[in-house]
Amino acid sequence: MSSEIYFDKDQELFRQTVRRFVEREINPHVEEWEAARCFDGRKLFKQMGDLGFLGVSYPEEYGGAGLDYWYNVVLAEEVGRADCGGVPMAIAVHTDMATPALAEFGSEELKQRFLAPAIAGDMIAAIAVSEPDAGSDVAAIRTRAVRDGDEYVINGSKMWITNGTQADFITLLARTGDEGGFRGMSLIIVPTDTPGFHVSRKLEKLGNHSSDTALLSFDDVRVPVANRIGEEGMGFMLQMQQFQKERLVGAIMGNAGAEKVIRMTINYCRERKTFGQPLIDNQWIHFKLCELLTEVEALRQLTYHCTRLLVAGHDITRDVSMAKLKAGRLAREVADTCLQFHGGMGYVEEYPMARYFRDARLLSIGGGADEIMLGIIAKYEDMLPRRRK
Amino acid sequence: MHAVVCVKQVPEQNSVKINSDTTIDASGITPIINLFDEYAIEEALQWAEKNDGKVTVISLGPDDATDSLKKALAMGANEAILINDDSLGQVGAQGAAKVVAAAIQKLGDVNIVFCGKQSTDDETGQFGPALARFLGWPQLTYVFKVHELTDSQIVVDRALEDTLETVEASLPVVITAVKDLNEPRYPSLLKIRKVSKQPIPTWTLSDLGLSADSLGGTINIAKRTPPPPRPSGEILSGDVQTQVKELVQKLIESQIL
Repeated sequence: MSSEIYFDKDQELFRQTVRRFVEREINPHVEEWEAARCFDGRKLFKQMGDLGFLGVSYPEEYGGAGLDYWYNVVLAEEVGRADCGGVPMAIAVHTDMATPALAEFGSEELKQRFLAPAIAGDMIAAIAVSEPDAGSDVAAIRTRAVRDGDEYVINGSKMWITNGTQADFITLLARTGDEGGFRGMSLIIVPTDTPGFHVSRKLEKLGNHSSDTALLSFDDVRVPVANRIGEEGMGFMLQMQQFQKERLVGAIMGNAGAEKVIRMTINYCRERKTFGQPLIDNQWIHFKLCELLTEVEALRQLTYHCTRLLVAGHDITRDVSMAKLKAGRLAREVADTCLQFHGGMGYVEEYPMARYFRDARLLSIGGGADEIMLGIIAKYEDMLPRRRK
Repeated sequence: MHAVVCVKQVPEQNSVKINSDTTIDASGITPIINLFDEYAIEEALQWAEKNDGKVTVISLGPDDATDSLKKALAMGANEAILINDDSLGQVGAQGAAKVVAAAIQKLGDVNIVFCGKQSTDDETGQFGPALARFLGWPQLTYVFKVHELTDSQIVVDRALEDTLETVEASLPVVITAVKDLNEPRYPSLLKIRKVSKQPIPTWTLSDLGLSADSLGGTINIAKRTPPPPRPSGEILSGDVQTQVKELVQKLIESQIL
């Protein structure tokens, strides 16, 4: 692809810088971090903060660069090419999932206390929406924040929280009113050194081993009401907005990772000989790999389309749901096909294929499962069944 | 202290594809700063920061070599100069050194020049020594560590084949950097944006008082051929003890042991 059509020279220099950073500061540590079931967020985020990677499109007064979302695209594409899925996911949680609502709707004080240090890499952020009984079904969450004077008293638990054991603050979605469903929720910043906050358990996962994922519990956790982002009761709406960037960055990173694995497989099939000829000479193999590259290119264009809409201030919900759905499905297809073409080498841990196979599976679940994306698209296309009165 | 770093823009090695007729496929080549020049930039920046000095980067190349100069500026260099002239297309290492020497003399107040030990495209390794010759300055090649650098003196370790040589020299001086002299910094996003609009002056041969026919011979690649295939290895047979004995014998015969 001739990327200069989409990106200017500054963005290409930024791309070169991030690519080199990933090669030197992330990839050499992946084996160690995967084995430890946790990456060194404290060191990595500080390095990234110093280089301006964590606040690309956030305002300059909080240490960001104030640039448009195309720079985020460059960052996501390059970080998505890392040798694992865990670290890119952890970075995306920090930059595009736990902080967008804070940046857009947080008070000045909140932004100075939490956004600025997150951009600098001095604080690690996590987003806490899912619960043991409420994943994609966000409206079913039960964690409550009850007002007591100038404080909220929070009780409940949050599940599958990326960066959960390392985070300095959690952007928490909790019930602040008695209304059911999607009403009566608020987004609240909870510092993790607040009494009553506990990491109940670090979760063992199928993949993304280098990223720490936790079950968090809140037992009478008291935080000032001033820690709320936006108006009380607007949490669900803010989170839905925040989800759009989460899904976009997920689709971009997922696509970059898929392309990397396809190209790795092409190289492997060129070198691997069976029955006296390179694997790639089999029409089934090179046709299939071409099909996958075609899918990657099509998805890339969809993510660029979403970015154009976002930068122009349009609602991207429908289009980004399509991108996220496609990215999850494609990651699964790429993982399965490329592992098959690797044969036994794809099944052993000494080759990166097996890790990709494990890591790629999350994209169809995290950030809203495929079925949620389909529901959103159906709603926007006015295909949902009418509710009976 | 005023340091000049000579920067060459080269193709990123894994982006170069060779056509079946051994010509180079120029499409898809990613231009980058020559690997060894990045170490030279970093070293110059570190010492300029310590000595409150300034760093000027110079590149001889086409207009798009400004991309590499912009990167050097984003790393922290103060100024950049591009030398571009239609007649420089096929200039050899010595001719390039003569042109850059004239540019350094035009700057006037330069104390030290940092170069990479060679470029990763042509790999002649001639540029740094030739530059020192044209400037009439001492040269310290294969510099692995700079111990001390003041306005009048430099102390370095040179990495020779089987020894490190500590050398002192007076300034002005030309040094050539080897890999791992330091750890080149990343340009921050803030600096990338900051230098985006910084103008980079272009000097031509006439700006330097030179003419094309004063630059010596040009070099043209007459032919490329792939290296001969490596002979296949030898597989020893017999039981393990016999194989080990034979292997040791062969290593002794080859003067490896």
